[in-house]
Amino acid sequence: MSSEEILTGVRRIIGEMCPLGARDVAPADRIMEDLGYDSMAVVELALVLEAEFALEPIDEEQAIDLVTVEDVAELVGRMVSARA
Amino acid sequence: MTVLEELPDITESPDAKPSGNLPTSKDLYYRWERQQWSVAALDLTKDQETWGTLRAFYRTELLNALTELEVGEVTVVETLSSLVDKAPTDDDRIYLSTQLADEGRHVRFFQTYLREAAGISGEGLADSADYTNHFAPELRRVTGAVWAKGDRDSWYEALVYYHLVTEGVLAATALRTTRQLAKRLPLPALVEGLTNVTRDESRHVAFGMIAARDGVAAGYAEPVRRAYLHGLELGARVLVGPLRKQAVPAVKTALVFRAAQLRGGFEIARDRAVRQLAHIGLPDAVADAAEVWDTALERALDAYEEHWNTPHPVRAAGSLKESA
Repeated sequence: MSSEEILTGVRRIIGEMCPLGARDVAPADRIMEDLGYDSMAVVELALVLEAEFALEPIDEEQAIDLVTVEDVAELVGRMVSARA
Repeated sequence: MTVLEELPDITESPDAKPSGNLPTSKDLYYRWERQQWSVAALDLTKDQETWGTLRAFYRTELLNALTELEVGEVTVVETLSSLVDKAPTDDDRIYLSTQLADEGRHVRFFQTYLREAAGISGEGLADSADYTNHFAPELRRVTGAVWAKGDRDSWYEALVYYHLVTEGVLAATALRTTRQLAKRLPLPALVEGLTNVTRDESRHVAFGMIAARDGVAAGYAEPVRRAYLHGLELGARVLVGPLRKQAVPAVKTALVFRAAQLRGGFEIARDRAVRQLAHIGLPDAVADAAEVWDTALERALDAYEEHWNTPHPVRAAGSLKESA
């Protein structure tokens, strides 16, 4: 799966699940500040992404700040690569 | 200001200050007359639509919470009668009769809501509930002892398990966290129903505190204290829920959030467990209660890990912090 495909998939899911209502989202949109996600919504989003991309924990990941849509796509990409 | 924001936290009610200004059981009876509500009057239409769109996480969260609440209500309906029959005074007995009606209405509410809004049959719900497995047997034992022995020690012990731990700690915590979740989704009928149940529980806990306080003052401090500490030990286990599988997000940021959410519920319960002691005249038991609670919580987290062969999210996030 290419990074472009991952970004497209992540944007679609984040947009569909947006607490402010479904919408198109841009890579630079901030998950919490711009799109209205709170901690519960972030947990739900993570679980949906895990199911969609068959993600598993990766050793090198720390609890980093996932600020933008692009940050999330980049993390998903790293987790997909680690799985392969 | 919304109805929910107007609702006082049960132990923060001005009526419940440890100044001795608690309501009497007669006051609580008249409060009950003023605070009637109807399960049949709730409009479930919007909630039915929302349930149809819920994803797995919220659906599981709500079903777990509503199951524990429903199972708890069924158990308290089945066990209150000995407390009514052997109540210390006529006013207490009359008040407790109103509470029996409340508990029946709560069962009807949760069962109706689960069936008609969430589309869940109540059958088999009790089997997997942590309250059923960890607390209900003890509540049945102590309320049964009220019939068997008929003495005041037994009555005060049962009161503590029933009013102060089941209702004052477990139900109050579950109602608060579930109501917050229902409000955000939104599930208006669930919010309204839980608000009504919370108002009723506020009366029940107030009664528990005045009765326990009177018992302590009348020389029953030891059975009250003993029951309270043992009840907290069981209560912490119910709250963690070793038999209830929790989602453990692979994305670590989400795992940290998840752990914080769960820890928030534990802290609400612990705070209530400690604060009630001041209201009933046992402030010297605070340190013991805190220690019992913390130890029981850790043991329940161990039990979770043993049962599921994976750490509870609170533990998983804790080890993440340690390794960071």
